[in-house]
Amino acid sequence: MKKSSVIGIVIIALAIAMIIVMYTDSSTYSTFTEAKETTSELYVVGVLNKEKELHYEPTVDANHFSFYMYDNDGTECKVVFRGSKPQDIERSEQIVLTGKMVGEEFHASKILMKCPSKYNEGEVEVKEVSTAQTLGFVNGTNAN
Amino acid sequence: MDITYVGEHLLPGKIGQFFVILSFGSALLAAISYYFATIDKNDRAWFRIARISFWINAAAILGIGGCLYYIIYNHLFEYHYAWSHSSRSLPTHYIISSFWEGQEGSFWLWMFWQTILGILLVFRAKSWESPVMSVVMLCQLVLASMLIGVEILGERVGSSPFILLRDAMQAPIFSDPNYLSMITDGRGLNPLLQNYWMVIHPPTLFLGFASMIVPFAYAVAGLWQRRYKDWMGPGLPWALFAVMVLGAGIIMGSFWAYEALNFGGFWAWDPVENASIIPWFTLIAAVHVMVAYKNSGHSYFTATFLVMISFVLVIYASYLTRSGILGETSVHSFTDLGLFWQLIAFNLIFFAIMVGVLIAHKKHLPSSKKEEELYSREFWLFIGALVLTVACVQIIASTSIPVFNAVFGTNVAPPVDPIQHYNKWQAGFAVVVGILSAFTQFMKYKRMDARKFYAAAIASLVVALVLTAVVVYVTKVYTNFMYILIVFAATYAIVANGKILGEAIRGKWKLAGSSIAHIGFGLLLIGALVAAATNEVISLNSSGYIAVAGFDQVEKPGENLFLTEGEPVQMGDYRITYVGDSIAPPNVYYKINYEEIDEETGRVVDRFQLRPFAQNNPSMGGLIGTPDTRHYLTHDVYTLITAAMSETHLQAQGAEQQAGLDAYEEPAIYETNIGDTLRYRNGYIVVTGINRNATVENISKGEDDVVVGLNLKVFASSGEVYEAEPVFLIKDGATYDFSKDVNEQGLRFRFSNIMPEKDKLELMVYQKPVPEKKWVVFKAIKFPYINFFWCGTVIMTIGFLMSIFRRNKEIKSTELV
Repeated sequence: MKKSSVIGIVIIALAIAMIIVMYTDSSTYSTFTEAKETTSELYVVGVLNKEKELHYEPTVDANHFSFYMYDNDGTECKVVFRGSKPQDIERSEQIVLTGKMVGEEFHASKILMKCPSKYNEGEVEVKEVSTAQTLGFVNGTNAN
Repeated sequence: MDITYVGEHLLPGKIGQFFVILSFGSALLAAISYYFATIDKNDRAWFRIARISFWINAAAILGIGGCLYYIIYNHLFEYHYAWSHSSRSLPTHYIISSFWEGQEGSFWLWMFWQTILGILLVFRAKSWESPVMSVVMLCQLVLASMLIGVEILGERVGSSPFILLRDAMQAPIFSDPNYLSMITDGRGLNPLLQNYWMVIHPPTLFLGFASMIVPFAYAVAGLWQRRYKDWMGPGLPWALFAVMVLGAGIIMGSFWAYEALNFGGFWAWDPVENASIIPWFTLIAAVHVMVAYKNSGHSYFTATFLVMISFVLVIYASYLTRSGILGETSVHSFTDLGLFWQLIAFNLIFFAIMVGVLIAHKKHLPSSKKEEELYSREFWLFIGALVLTVACVQIIASTSIPVFNAVFGTNVAPPVDPIQHYNKWQAGFAVVVGILSAFTQFMKYKRMDARKFYAAAIASLVVALVLTAVVVYVTKVYTNFMYILIVFAATYAIVANGKILGEAIRGKWKLAGSSIAHIGFGLLLIGALVAAATNEVISLNSSGYIAVAGFDQVEKPGENLFLTEGEPVQMGDYRITYVGDSIAPPNVYYKINYEEIDEETGRVVDRFQLRPFAQNNPSMGGLIGTPDTRHYLTHDVYTLITAAMSETHLQAQGAEQQAGLDAYEEPAIYETNIGDTLRYRNGYIVVTGINRNATVENISKGEDDVVVGLNLKVFASSGEVYEAEPVFLIKDGATYDFSKDVNEQGLRFRFSNIMPEKDKLELMVYQKPVPEKKWVVFKAIKFPYINFFWCGTVIMTIGFLMSIFRRNKEIKSTELV
């Protein structure tokens, strides 16, 4: 057998081993309940509780933002983020948090938001043609 | 019910749609006729049809671009594309960026470049034209199908950029024939894309993607025509061209991310970034084994396979970024446009072509019976290509997690910290690639004396070790063994290639291209490592954070700093002051002064102002900050606004300031006389006189009417003087007064009564409340030695360019046809 073929096979084997290691390494999306049982960082997917207040007061602490979130099981938990408030979180339809539980609070190190398309599909800004210039939004369904 | 709509311009769309269909039809005809022209070389008729349809296709594609540009430029918001991606306030140069903000526009850009490349091939490919162009036109056909936007058997194929707004959406206003007059503006361009780099980065990137079809097509043509060895000649300069342009395009994107995005870095391992770097890695590997094959006859299959897979991976990259499958892992990808299955078909077609030709010609592929020597350049080039491929496999595997989840129904989460995850793997590959690109320079093709190799390699190794020690010490990356290894690998690559370059300058000029590219690569690696490993957030906020020994690992100090206007804050070496903002709608620029103060003398050593800006764009997700960076030779200071007061932003949107009396505090009522002085918060007011000849616009003065103005002078404590003349009016027995404002001081005056019995004049002074002190929250990062990264890129690109000329010359000297 040629040297290059041997090395080729060895390297392909290494690549497969690498992928297996990577996948055993990777986590799945979890819930707050699961997060309470571990101390390692993980992902929690859920939605923002829009009823409760989003707390961010830069004048007091520019690096403290907290809010309440429901995970996919419907469990509610307070989330604390050491950073400034992500700008479009109110509009998010899904939130993916990275972080861990500290006591009864989930300390997020990263917040990823899924917004109803960043480009507001299906919403036409309409200006009425009248003397009183009012701005309104008409929500339409997108035919795309 | 048919409605006759008012004010629509349907002609440009109709013409555009005609061109779309024409481009599809002509691409189909061209692909078929080039195919038959290849099969039957004696029949010139097919060839002539192919050429004609190619030119028609080129004209149609220009036509599509022209119509689309006309629609966007003239703000024809009856078209969905113009409405979604542009607005009236957009400056002209950004109209170009809005052109390719959408998927349709970027597909067009791809087709456009493919046409330009096609023209070059038509003129220069000679005997290769028919087979190569069959493949190129097939790709053109698939791309055209993405734009046709017609229903075939109930399935919509493609998405046309000429679709009307009222067809694309359903909303009640479209039942009004006059709906257009209600849509006064488009949704505009994403503010992040309003950057000059976004004018130049997408075209470069797409030229890179598009040019990858050419080496692919040459490889297919080579096998198909059984000209197995020949295709590498013209294929190599094209592959180098694609590598150069795509590399430049990727780094431009990285520079854009660094200059304009709020990532806080130059590479985030975002799936969209990964998608573009995957084919780049494989094509780099391909170029190396192609060179190895040309010089030694080894690794034919590897070279051909890598060239072909690179283009298939380009299509895979477009599938990842355009199908919406990355949705959860990337905020930067497109949303699905209904092209999901079409994109998969695109992948399958070209994957099938690759597998098909490779299997069909398996027996005939040239291969060398001889074993490679261990001390030969071709052997190590082959190893290097394999390492690059494995590095690429790692990126593909991690980036494709959402795809695997979709296919197998699993629920695997992507890496929690992508930057760390990819860096961990890629750092190892970078070390191997760096070292390989160093010592392979001292190898000769076929066979060489091991002792000669060691003599040359070890001499450079010693120099590299010394230099590594210096670089590690200066850049302070000695904390981590991996960092030191990377610096060593990169330095070794620079030293070894520097030596080759030295020889090249003394005569062997043709070797210069490759060594310059490798030196660039080494610099890029060092720059990326140092900037990524040692960048530090300097806006650390220690307020609300009490460092208690043993407890401080719980809460790390925040990375955002709060600044109030006019109040300096010490931040690391800098004293920073937020000195105010300026509004250039729709952006607000925040002026932040940096002063570096020498601790001993207290003198200001360095002073500069950064103006990061932000745009409040509710439809794009609130406040979007754009950083500003101070560039030094050895480091950058990067500043980004993360939160700010909303009032300034309301002004930037042109919202009317509250004009009613609600905006003022309760008035102070004075009974005054001429010569009186009244105090107000910021100064004093002097009543200077009465104007009995005052007039009020549009009101005629009757016999018994009284119109009196009160002359006031306002002396602000800051030194300015303003004048105002509120007017009192008695008309037909009724009294009126006309207030006057001094907006600069937030004052409003009403001359509200004349009291002859007391010989007094009544003056009401309204004052606006003290505005809340302006504040911003911002983040500042110091990136050391990032210039190595940019500089390395430029050098690498120059190296590629030189190699292209060299390889091009080679085919000219050998080409007989």
